[in-house]
Amino acid sequence: MSTQQQLDDHIIERYTAQPTRLPAELRRQIEHAWQGAPVQLYALADLDQSLRLTVAWLALGPRHIAVAQRESTGWHVRSVERSRIEAIREAPGLSANTLTILGASGEPALALLRYTHRQRRAFENIRFVLEEQIQGHERELVDGDADRLYAESVARPIRDAQALVSGRQTAVIRRLLGYLKPYRRQLTLGMAAATVITLVSLVPPYLAGHLIDRVVRPAQAGTLSLVQAAKVAWLAVAAMALVYLVRQPAVHVRLRLMSIIGEWVARDLRSELYEHIQRLSLAFFSRKRTGSLITRVSADTDRLWDFLAFGVVDVSLSLVMLAGLGTVLLTLDWRLGLVMTLPVPVFCWLIYRHSEEITRLFIRAWRKWSRVTDVLSDTIPGIRVVKAFNQEQREIERFGERNEDVTAEFNRIHASWTRFWPLLMLGVHMMTVAVWVFAVPRLLGSGAQLPVGTFVSFLLYTTMFGAPIEVIGQMARTINRATTSAHRVFEVLDTEPEIRDVAEPVRLEPVHGRVTFEHVTFGYDGVRQVLRGVSFDVTPGELIGLVGPSGGGKTTIVNLIARFYDVSGGTIRIDGVDLRRLDTGHYRRQIGMVLQDPYLFHGTVLENIRYGSQEAPLNQVVAAAQAANAHDFITKLQHGYDTVVGERGHTLSGGERQRVSIARAILHDPRILILDEATSSVDTETEREIQQALERLVAGRTVFAIAHRLSTLRKASRLFVIEDGRLIEHGTHAELLAKPEGQYRHLYELQLQLQ
Amino acid sequence: MTLTLGKSATATRGGALSLEWRADGSLWAMWGEEERAVSVRRCFPWTEPARHLSLRDTDEEEFAFVRDPADLDQRSRAALERALAVAGFVFEVTQVLEIEEEVEIRRWRVETQQGPRTFQTRLDDWPRTLPHGGLLIRDLAGDLYHLVAPERLDRESRELLWAFVD
Repeated sequence: MSTQQQLDDHIIERYTAQPTRLPAELRRQIEHAWQGAPVQLYALADLDQSLRLTVAWLALGPRHIAVAQRESTGWHVRSVERSRIEAIREAPGLSANTLTILGASGEPALALLRYTHRQRRAFENIRFVLEEQIQGHERELVDGDADRLYAESVARPIRDAQALVSGRQTAVIRRLLGYLKPYRRQLTLGMAAATVITLVSLVPPYLAGHLIDRVVRPAQAGTLSLVQAAKVAWLAVAAMALVYLVRQPAVHVRLRLMSIIGEWVARDLRSELYEHIQRLSLAFFSRKRTGSLITRVSADTDRLWDFLAFGVVDVSLSLVMLAGLGTVLLTLDWRLGLVMTLPVPVFCWLIYRHSEEITRLFIRAWRKWSRVTDVLSDTIPGIRVVKAFNQEQREIERFGERNEDVTAEFNRIHASWTRFWPLLMLGVHMMTVAVWVFAVPRLLGSGAQLPVGTFVSFLLYTTMFGAPIEVIGQMARTINRATTSAHRVFEVLDTEPEIRDVAEPVRLEPVHGRVTFEHVTFGYDGVRQVLRGVSFDVTPGELIGLVGPSGGGKTTIVNLIARFYDVSGGTIRIDGVDLRRLDTGHYRRQIGMVLQDPYLFHGTVLENIRYGSQEAPLNQVVAAAQAANAHDFITKLQHGYDTVVGERGHTLSGGERQRVSIARAILHDPRILILDEATSSVDTETEREIQQALERLVAGRTVFAIAHRLSTLRKASRLFVIEDGRLIEHGTHAELLAKPEGQYRHLYELQLQLQ
Repeated sequence: MTLTLGKSATATRGGALSLEWRADGSLWAMWGEEERAVSVRRCFPWTEPARHLSLRDTDEEEFAFVRDPADLDQRSRAALERALAVAGFVFEVTQVLEIEEEVEIRRWRVETQQGPRTFQTRLDDWPRTLPHGGLLIRDLAGDLYHLVAPERLDRESRELLWAFVD
């Protein structure tokens, strides 16, 4: 079983309380009824006809489907031959979907199943296969994939939302601490400094007590000579001075070293994370939100720095400090020691409870804060609409109301902590009072004798309890926050790139640009095919126009040519070599892309044109810009090619950005060029200029151009009409127009009518 | 007349819209000479759930629009109500047993009229307050959980929900 499936099984078990797979005895029963034919797909119908939660199954085999319902005596299985199925309907609802499998017209439904959205993907897989069958396209399924596909379909929404759910907290912390290994020397020094700080902090109160009991009082009572007393007293003062002289440099060493180590680890994590992100396949980016990935590289690593630099040391030293204080106090006087140490766990627990309460308050405040930011993110980008509809006052009131609301919540948080901490400190002070209550009678001579110096030491030690108690109380929260960030970072690091080079990849030198598709099938989720057996052979230098309705598979074809994904079936060959055997990095250097929404990076025009060819001399940059019809507008800019284009090139118009991206492609000089709706979002005049630029760009290369405006593809060597994942027509513009019932002709005539 | 034909319907306007459940397990709409298997969509599932209903065929085209079911004959109304029960089904939460935060998600364990259920939401996906009161929670898979009156739930449920209701 793959790691992925283990993770999916774990998610289903932990989060859904539904079976992780079709029960084995039921599977046997179904396969027996099918004369040994395997279950290829299955789905759980979790609602009954009266919309109560239930467990029923729909299974699909090569020639049958089966519906299984639990009865008191076991499973009741009803099999239906797939050949009887003539139609399939799905009625989606708010949370209940109904799948109706129909036979001959007018006959009762062959099966009717209800299920929640949680099961919908699994049902869609089955529905897809049956619909393919109804349309006359047989879909071959791999036996043994049923468990994986079921688990993936149920677990996927949770897996996509959550990072590395299988990681245990202790394992994550251990792994995180592993990042400190390269800095062992600095870490040891920093920890040693922190230990010194903790231990020497215990010395002054002890010295004070010792001085009073062994020097001051004997001197006052005349049992110690003044000379001797002065000598010891000055020694004690010198020791005290030494303590502080040792402590402060240790503080310096600890703060400096631990902050630096934290920064180093954060830097290492950031670099590792960013490098890994660059290597990941496009599929990963389609699953994760951009904001979430940016947060992982920035805020999460920053939070980990805080934890490693201070959290780890603070927590461990607070434990050492409390243990040290307890030991010293119990050694000095066990009765007073107990008075001081017994309430400590209670204080820690109170702080823990308080932090839980504060978390609850913060959830409420965050919820209200999100309502404030909702208004901002609605109205600031949409300010033209607000003004056009004269809704400024309404928006001001909406914002004001939410602002008041969130302020009240934050004040509630302030009320909570400002009440708690003085009360807690009162508790700590009461501990001191308790020490007095127990100590005073003993100081006055009743009960066990208590030296004054010991009493003074106790009073001084009392003041040292506050800080470690607070750290220990917050420990759970600190560790939770750090492990959450670590989970998010490690999830990315643990994701394997789906596109990987073979052991000894082939480098085509040079690439000629022949592209061959041999029965290529592809699906993003393993069941639903986006491409269904596409075959073609494109010779070097051909310009191929890809046309057809949206969602037909055109973009998938160019994504496969660029090897953003690997095919599910069949083969793609470049100059006769299987694309999967090529060195991906080297191959992609031969690929150029001009997209509908050209992406420019924050930087100068020059840097953007040189993006794929950093070493290109300036005269070539200018030549590329001239060929792209971009040189004129660039030279009119105040800083010419050194103009900073801003984030995503926002200071340029859409047509200007497009021409810069064409210049970038020309300079890159690819053997295979992909144009994806390169002229669709510009005005006619700009389109003419871009069209001219593209004509220069495509010369001598193999080009795949996707365009909805068919007129832009008249010069194509051949046109491929892609519909529903299939290549349904191909030929030149004239050849395709000559087909009276052709799909291309139909599309072309429709566009003419619109013009 | 409060019933209108959808743009895809080509039937003449003669006669009234009628609805019935057939043996194939589907709701069928008949208007004039045309009949189709349809499903029901509420246009305002929370603002006005009982009116403004779109009857859509298997191609997701609107076949007819029912502004008010009261305009239908009794048999059709009963058929429509049965379809509405399925189309408008959401989990009705009767008790909140646990709300736990985990890495990037919030885990809920609830008791519903349909049985016990656990589900997950994103940390920044907050329950939605409905126009006529009550809360609606959408889980990661898209299933909906309705709390008709959170203030009338038991004390433990109210405490757990406190951070999520106004």
